[in-house]
Amino acid sequence: MGTKNKKIAIIVSILLVAGSLGYLAFGNFGENIVYFVTPSEVKAFSAEAYSKKVRVGGMVVKGSLKTQPDPVGLTFELTDGAATIPVAFQGIPPDLFKEGQGAVVEGQWRDGRTFHSTMIMAKHSEDYMPMELKRAGVELPKKDFMKTLSP
Amino acid sequence: MIIEIGHFSVIVALVLSVFGMASAALALKTRNPDWARSGRMAVTLIFVLLGVGMLSLVYAFIIRDFSVLYVANNSNSKLPFFYTVAAVWGGHEGSLLLWVFILSVFSTLAVWLHWRTQPAIMPYLIGVESAIIFGFLCLIVFLSSPFERLLPVPLDGKDLNPLLQDPAMVMHPPMLYLGYVGFSIPFSFAMAALFSGRLGEEWIKVTQRWSMFAWMCLTTGILLGGYWAYYELGWGGYWGWDPVENASFMPWLVGTAYLHSVLVQEKRKMFKVWNLFLIIVTFSLSLIGTFLVRSGVLTSVHSFATDPERGLYILIFVGTVIGIAFGALILRSNKLKSQVEMDSLVSRESIFLFNNLFFLVAAATVFLGTLYPLILETLQNAKVTVGPPYYNAVFMPIALGLLFLMGVGPYIPWRKASVASLKKSFSTPLLAGAVIVVLLFVTGIHNLYALAGGYVVTFAGMAIVLDFGKISQLYAQRNGSNIFQGSLAAFTANQRRYASMLTHIGVLVLVVGIIASTVYQTEKVVSMRVGDEFAIGDYRMKLTKIHEVAGGNWNAQEGVFQVFKGEDLVTELRPQKRIYSATQTPTTESAIYATNMGHVFLTMPEVSEDGVAVARGVLNPLVLWVWGGGVIMGLGVILNILRPRKKEE
Repeated sequence: MGTKNKKIAIIVSILLVAGSLGYLAFGNFGENIVYFVTPSEVKAFSAEAYSKKVRVGGMVVKGSLKTQPDPVGLTFELTDGAATIPVAFQGIPPDLFKEGQGAVVEGQWRDGRTFHSTMIMAKHSEDYMPMELKRAGVELPKKDFMKTLSP
Repeated sequence: MIIEIGHFSVIVALVLSVFGMASAALALKTRNPDWARSGRMAVTLIFVLLGVGMLSLVYAFIIRDFSVLYVANNSNSKLPFFYTVAAVWGGHEGSLLLWVFILSVFSTLAVWLHWRTQPAIMPYLIGVESAIIFGFLCLIVFLSSPFERLLPVPLDGKDLNPLLQDPAMVMHPPMLYLGYVGFSIPFSFAMAALFSGRLGEEWIKVTQRWSMFAWMCLTTGILLGGYWAYYELGWGGYWGWDPVENASFMPWLVGTAYLHSVLVQEKRKMFKVWNLFLIIVTFSLSLIGTFLVRSGVLTSVHSFATDPERGLYILIFVGTVIGIAFGALILRSNKLKSQVEMDSLVSRESIFLFNNLFFLVAAATVFLGTLYPLILETLQNAKVTVGPPYYNAVFMPIALGLLFLMGVGPYIPWRKASVASLKKSFSTPLLAGAVIVVLLFVTGIHNLYALAGGYVVTFAGMAIVLDFGKISQLYAQRNGSNIFQGSLAAFTANQRRYASMLTHIGVLVLVVGIIASTVYQTEKVVSMRVGDEFAIGDYRMKLTKIHEVAGGNWNAQEGVFQVFKGEDLVTELRPQKRIYSATQTPTTESAIYATNMGHVFLTMPEVSEDGVAVARGVLNPLVLWVWGGGVIMGLGVILNILRPRKKEE
C-alpha cells in the first residue's frame, strides 16, 4: 500500500470515529431539552405534549398541600396567577419547599388533568425567591414573575 | 483599619501588575536583564501584597467585623470559628481574591524556580502572568471588592449559607482553584513559546510537573465537591450534572486530553499545534468555569442584569484572553508543521489521537449542555434545561471507549504494531475480560452497563498487571532478588511510567465505584412513627426515638435509628433535620454506615408535628471506591511529580 493510500485510510477512519462520536453527542440533543413553562401554558397543552417532560414554575397555593404516606409524596396546586394546576409528586421535596412560596416542578401533564412530578426544586437564593415575590405575590406581570422562578 | 490596609495592598498589587507587564515588555525590547529582574520583583511583591489582602480579610472574619459588607453577608456572631475562616471564600468577592492570590503564589514560584534554566522565557512568563493578575485585580478592585464597608453597621451578620458549613466544602474551592490556576503556568509557557517562536518540546517538558499538579488538584476538588454533595445535600448521589459541577468538569476533560497528548509530542514530535490548542482551551475553560460559577450567571442569565458591569467585564476579559491566545496560535501555525507523520492506525500515536477525540467530544457535550440554555435564554428568552439523561447517554459509551483505550495505549508500540506483538500483549487481557463477564453474569449481574464496564475494567487492569508483573520478574531475575524487591526496582527505574499506571488503576477503581453505586443503588422512602421499622436490602431500620438536639448555631430534630442486619444490631444511625438559627434555613443531615466499601445512607427529611417522620434509606454498593479510586489517582500523580529528574529534564 502506498503512503498516500495509507494516509487516506488513516484520515477516513478518524473521520468515521469522530462522526459517530459527534452523532452520539449531538444527534439526540434536541430530544433531551426540557422546556420551562407556566401553569397557563400547561393548561393549553395539546394531547401530543402530554408525554413531554417539562419544568413548571409557579407558586404553591396556600392550603392546597397534602402529604401522602404510602408511597411517600405530596399533592398540591401550582399557580401563576392566571391558571392553577394540580400536581401529584412522588418522593421527598427539598428542604425549602413550602406553601405560599415559589417552586419549580419537573414532570409530565400525563393525563391532561394532573401534573405528575418526580422532582421539585426550591432553591434558596435572592435570584430565585426574591422579596418582591412575597410582597407582590402573583400580581407581578407574568413575565417578570416567571423570571423570578427560573432555575 | 486593618481591612483598609488589605484594600490598599490589593490596589498597589494592581498597579504592580501593570508594572510587571511593562517591565516584561521592556525586558524583551531592550534585552536588558535588569528589566526582567524588576519584573520578577514585581511578581513577588504582588504575592506579598495579595497575601496581606487575604490576611486582612481573614482577620475581619475572625474578629467578626460586620462593618465590612462581605463579612456581614457571609458570617454571623454564632458561626463556628473554623467556618469563619473558610467563609473568606464563601462568597463571590472573597473567592475571586483567593483565586488571584493562588495565581500570585504560582507565578512567584514559577518565576523563581525556572529563572536559571529558562532565562529567555522569563519576560514572557512575567508578562502573561501579570496580565492575568491584572485582569482579575481590576475585577476585584473596581467591580467586586470584598473590602467594602457597610453603613450603618448591622448588629449581626447574615450568616454563611448553612450548606457551606461543612469540612469538605471548606477544602473544595481552594482545591479547584489550585487546579484552575495551576494550568495557568503551562498556559503561560505555551504563550511564551508562541510569542518567542521557540516552538520545540521544551515548554512541555518544563511544565510537565505543573500540569500534573494542576490536574491532581482539579481532580481532588471535583471529587471533594462530589463527596460534599453526597452527604450534605441528602439525595444520596454525588454527581448530578449540575451546571456548577459541569463548569469544573470541562477543564478537567480537556486537561486530561492535554496530559496525554503532550506525551506524543515528547516522544514523536507530533501534535504540536494540537497541544498548544489543548492547553489554551484548558486554561480558557478554567477561566470560564470560575466565572460561570462566580458570576451567578448559571442561576439565571438575569443575574447578569442585576450587575451588568461585572457580567460585561467578565465577558470582555475571557474574550480577550481567548482571542489573544488563539490569534497567536493561528499566526504561528505555519511554523508548527510536525515533521513526522503517522505511520499506522495500529500504533500508540493513533491510540492517543482517539483518546483526545473522545475527551474532546465529552467536553463539547458538557459545554453544549451547560451553555446552550444560557444562549437560548439570551436570544429567545426561552427557558430550557438539559438534564442528566442526556449526559448519561453520551458519557457511558465514551467512558467505556476511553477505558478500552487506556488498556491498549500504554502497551502498544509507537509507529506501527505488528499482529504478533498485539497478540502477545492483549490476548490474555481480552480473555480475562470475557471470563469476568461470564462470572458476573452467572452471579446475577445482567445489567448491560455493568457487564460492559466489567469487561473493559478487567481488560485495562489486566494489561497493567501483566506488564508490570513481567517487568518486575525481569528485574528480580537480574538482581537475584524476590519478586517484591523486583517490582520495587522496576517501579523506581521507570517511575514516570508506573506512577501513571497507578493513576490508571485509580481510575479503574473509581469507575467500578461509579458503575456499582449507580446501577445497583436501592432507595426506599417511608413515613413512620417511633417504634416502626422498614427494610432495605439486608437491613432493617427501626426508629427508636426522635429528640431535639442543638449545635452552636442550629437546632435539630434527630431521629435515632437502630440498624439490624438479620437479627443483629449492627449500628445506630442519627440523621437530623436542622434549622440554622440566623437564616432559619432548614437542612437535612444524612447519617451513613459504611459496609464492605458500600454505604447505608439514611436521612430524615421531614418530621410532622404529630410525630410522623419521613425516612429515606439508600444502599450505595461500593460507593467508597469512587473516592478510594480518587486517592489512588492522586497518589500516582504525587509519585509521578516526585520522580527523580533525568538529565534531559
